[in-house]
Amino acid sequence: MIAGLPLAFTSPLILLGLLALPVLWWLLRLIPPRPRRIAFPPTRILFEIEPKEETPSRTPWWLTALRLLLAALIIIAAAGPIWNPPAAGSLPGGPIALIVDSGWTAAAQWDERIASAEAIASRAEAEGRGIAVLATGAPPKEVSLQRPGEARDALRLLAPAPHTPDRNDILLPLTRLLRTVPDASVIWLSDGVDLGDGGKFVAALNQIAPGRVTVVTGGIEGPRAITAADNAAASLTVKVLRADPSAPATGIVRARDLRGLSLGDAEFSFTGTETETEARFDLPVEIRNDIARLEIVGERSAGAVELLDKRWRRRTVGLVSGATADTAQPLLAPTYYLSRALGPFADVRLAEGTAPTTAIERFIDQRLPVIVLSDVGNIVGPARERLVRWIEDGGVLVRFAGPRLAAADDDLVPVKLRRGGRVLGGSLSWDQPQKLGSFAAEGPFRDLKVPDDVLVQRQVLAEPDGLLMERTWASLADGTPLVTAVPRERGLVVLFHVTADTAWSNLPISGSFVEMLRRIIALAGSGAVATEKTGVEEHGPAPTIAPSRLLDGFGAFTAPGPTARPIPADFSGRAVADHPPGFYGPPEGLVAVNALAADDRLKPLDLGPLGGRVEPYSRGEPLDLRAGFLSGAFTLLALDTLIIFLLAGGLARLARRHAAAALVFFIAIAAAGDHAHAQEMTQAQLDFALQASLQTRLAYVRTGDTEVDELSHAGLEGLSVFLAQRTALEPAEPMAVDIARDELSFFPMLYWPIVPAATVPNAETLARVDAYMKQGGTILFDTRDAYSGIPGRTNEVTPGLAKLREILAALDIPELEPVPRDHVLTKSFYLLRDFPGRYAGGTLWVEALPTAPEEQEARPARAGDGVSQIMITSNDLAGAWAVGGDGQPLLPLVPGDPRQREFAFRTGVNIVMYVLTGNYKADQVHIPALLERLGQ
Amino acid sequence: MADNPATMREAAGEVRQSAYGAAQLVAAMPRLVLEARRVAASVYHGVHGRRRAGPGENFWQYRRFVGGEPATRVDWRRSARDDLLFVREREWEAAHTVWIWPDCSPSMVFMSKDATATKRDRALVLAFALGELLVRGGERVGIPGILRPTASRAVIERMADTIVHFAGSPPSLPPAFAPGPRDEIVLLGDFWSPTTEVTATLARLGANGAGGHIVQIVDPAEETFPYSGRIEFEEPEGAGSITVGRAEAWAADYIQRVALHRSAIRAEARRLGWSFAIHRTSRPASEILLSLHARMSASLDALPKAQPAAQNAVEAAL
Repeated sequence: MIAGLPLAFTSPLILLGLLALPVLWWLLRLIPPRPRRIAFPPTRILFEIEPKEETPSRTPWWLTALRLLLAALIIIAAAGPIWNPPAAGSLPGGPIALIVDSGWTAAAQWDERIASAEAIASRAEAEGRGIAVLATGAPPKEVSLQRPGEARDALRLLAPAPHTPDRNDILLPLTRLLRTVPDASVIWLSDGVDLGDGGKFVAALNQIAPGRVTVVTGGIEGPRAITAADNAAASLTVKVLRADPSAPATGIVRARDLRGLSLGDAEFSFTGTETETEARFDLPVEIRNDIARLEIVGERSAGAVELLDKRWRRRTVGLVSGATADTAQPLLAPTYYLSRALGPFADVRLAEGTAPTTAIERFIDQRLPVIVLSDVGNIVGPARERLVRWIEDGGVLVRFAGPRLAAADDDLVPVKLRRGGRVLGGSLSWDQPQKLGSFAAEGPFRDLKVPDDVLVQRQVLAEPDGLLMERTWASLADGTPLVTAVPRERGLVVLFHVTADTAWSNLPISGSFVEMLRRIIALAGSGAVATEKTGVEEHGPAPTIAPSRLLDGFGAFTAPGPTARPIPADFSGRAVADHPPGFYGPPEGLVAVNALAADDRLKPLDLGPLGGRVEPYSRGEPLDLRAGFLSGAFTLLALDTLIIFLLAGGLARLARRHAAAALVFFIAIAAAGDHAHAQEMTQAQLDFALQASLQTRLAYVRTGDTEVDELSHAGLEGLSVFLAQRTALEPAEPMAVDIARDELSFFPMLYWPIVPAATVPNAETLARVDAYMKQGGTILFDTRDAYSGIPGRTNEVTPGLAKLREILAALDIPELEPVPRDHVLTKSFYLLRDFPGRYAGGTLWVEALPTAPEEQEARPARAGDGVSQIMITSNDLAGAWAVGGDGQPLLPLVPGDPRQREFAFRTGVNIVMYVLTGNYKADQVHIPALLERLGQ
Repeated sequence: MADNPATMREAAGEVRQSAYGAAQLVAAMPRLVLEARRVAASVYHGVHGRRRAGPGENFWQYRRFVGGEPATRVDWRRSARDDLLFVREREWEAAHTVWIWPDCSPSMVFMSKDATATKRDRALVLAFALGELLVRGGERVGIPGILRPTASRAVIERMADTIVHFAGSPPSLPPAFAPGPRDEIVLLGDFWSPTTEVTATLARLGANGAGGHIVQIVDPAEETFPYSGRIEFEEPEGAGSITVGRAEAWAADYIQRVALHRSAIRAEARRLGWSFAIHRTSRPASEILLSLHARMSASLDALPKAQPAAQNAVEAAL
């Protein structure tokens, strides 16, 4: 393997032969070229001349270089150069244990990896070696040697796992395998990424199979992954990771919603050897909240997908304060503390300068999911009813205590508060400020660490009753509740028993405050509360959530397989085999599990300790370059021979002897060629002309679309037969006409089916067409798409019509009209009212007739001076005329009226008659009158 | 010798080669004959009115009968006109014999890019044309060794015929033969044989007093030596080859040697009273033919027995 080049040699030792080139150089320089031989009659006089002092004649350096190159090419060809050498090209004998990394890290270039694996299996098959396949992503199981064909089938069935498998899982089966077949060599098709298990695995592998391991890695693009999506205030950011710079440095992260619709793209780029960068979505928060899936475009792996659930949703929180005067000291107001605490994960809307009830109503109108009431007392009037309904519809109401709440008589609180004068007096003053005691095991704060720096000086007290414990999420050291909550229908009411400012406690300035708010806000949204409720009510140790939509290794959504198991409700971290990445839970409360945890980083695998062979993946088919090198060598050989010939005066000899002859020969050849060419052209044209003109023929324009052309031919053939049966015209077999080259003037009419995909003829061709029409030819254009247009709606532009317009734009087209009732076309042979083809809905357009002079009496048929140059239909006439070899129609008709085909043929007859006879038929209608006048 | 297979192969190769050469020659012959006629015609017209010896049995003069002569010699018709006896004398009928020898050896089949014909073609054209002219002029023409002197009108055909049918490889120097003392010899060849061989041959031919003309037909390349680079020069008649490293360095020496060679031949020719001319194949054949013919006419006229009357010359020309 040449570093950096996918080039390898089957027998690299032969390349040592290149060392012999300098010797060859010396030899070649020494042996002069053969002298020119000249028969010279007075040679005997030369015999008498003293020989001259002569320097030995040398081969010119460039000739020597040429020969050396020739020798080098042959040596290289003998060494068997192979472009894109197959992975693990040469191995010692014995069976093969093939380890395939099959986590999501291998998914992006899965095809290449499997192709390499199959190549190895094929080679093993050719060499008659057994092979055992161990995929890291598959569930660990015993493996044994297989026949390579079976192994190849198994490899084809292998799919990457969506999670990050632990390579160490296969160590056990591998060890057992190597115990049974000790001479096996190990090939590890690695993805080159270390996600924590690499070092141990490499060390173990080195111990199990020292010196027999071939690692195939690199050579193809490394994997990229995304993780740690963060929906911050201004934008949503996500980290893009790669293990090493072999992965593409730039790309796009695309955001999709749950239904898979694209919401936005963000570009990212790694600079230099960076392994971590960031993609940023600057989208409105409402759209950002809809993002359910982020993926790297073009990277097909589960790691390149980051699923977002409600935890990443950025809530808009309405903040209502009971004290309108709060704004007097904005930095001390409870709203300020709340804004700062909510800021990192939610957008805060403040109700400023309005009464609390107005503000509440406005927030409900704005459909905010969370409303925070800071020390708001009674809510009265319609606002209260709406608020209750809003909660029952899923809203989360967070209340903070305060003097007003303590004084109020309100039931929009989770627990019964001590009321009346006692409540007033109940806002106790503690001798000893109480610390935060514990978080309820079932509440949302269960995984928070209990802070020891929170001191509560005052609180509102709850009436102790049986439900209090259940509703308490956080309590103080003495057991009195600090945070209580109660679900109401689908909504939730949460009460902080302290104020939102620092007057009663220092909770609002502690870090726990932010976390607590974050968890409460995260509950907002449909369904989450219900889940929480069941969790609360079940009292189970670990509520579980069943998988609903899971990712496969390529990052596509699939239905959950049998091995996927429900996650505990508090599941966090990286996906594992039992819990593949994907969405868990009911549609309204999805929980996302991702292949990578937020702090995971891709590291390149350190293969140093292994000490085995390292080879890259092969990209594409291996290409044996021997033929190329050998033909190069033979070309040089021929060149060398030619040069020797020329050096020895061969040209002069050749010229003297054969120049004249050769010249004559070449001139003769050229002349003959020219002559023959000219002859051939005229002959072809002559044949065409004879064929076209000896008998009357219908003709169609060859479109280049074989199907259409065959149909045109069959259609015109059918029409020809019909004409021969019914009329005096017996046309010969129809002809195809190349509109760009063939002479058109032999044909009275051309049938030109329009193929939307065809190219518009060039200007020169269109000029020919124009001339043909001007000189009396008629072209019947057929867009063949009446089925796609709605009958009657003629202004619709079908692709065929668009193409036809494109063609006609370059032609001089007269004014067109649908065939009027008195047009001669309706009477030229049969009496027709409309002109159906395969479809009956289209209109036949012809050149508009000059308006009938007013003074003349209406004639039963009118015709212009000649025949219309152009007829346009969309009924696919040829499709209706087309008959097969057995005389049966080829295509069904739409709508399929039994008489439609007959009328289609009649249409064709009328058109042909009209074209052939012109306005003669218009005059024929007067025959009865003439006969009458003659007295018959 | 014959049992040596290599030699046999060699011999077979030579036979094949000469057969090929002969075939080439035969193929070229009609063209050469035509060209010879053309050249001869132009020269013939060019020397119109030449005095020449009358042919055959024509009246020459009456002389007085000398006593002791046989009486049958008396021309009674003439004698009856007066009292004196006359003897009718006829012209001496023996024509002059010219031996023309064209060199047809392989070395003559050489043509460089400056030349218009090979040396052999040129030699044959000259030989035929000269033969035609001479026969028309009443001489007898022969080719040493292969054609006895003839005065046939179809001399060209006969010459061509004998040359084509000549068996064996043609020598590069005229064969040893014995020309009459009053014969003339025309040698057409390149004379690139070693100087001593050439002079010896000339001396032998001229030993009994025959006159002669030597025309050295050379290719321009043989005089200018326009070669450069590494070249192996090969003697076409199998006399060996020599490899020259830088041919351009040999040119001066070669030209000098050629001059030396020629001067030796010229000296020998002068000693014998022969003429020596050089003809280059880049020049037209008529040029050398004209001068050669003029020179020969002069030398033929110089002979005492060839004193033709002017009217006879006119007669013959007609």
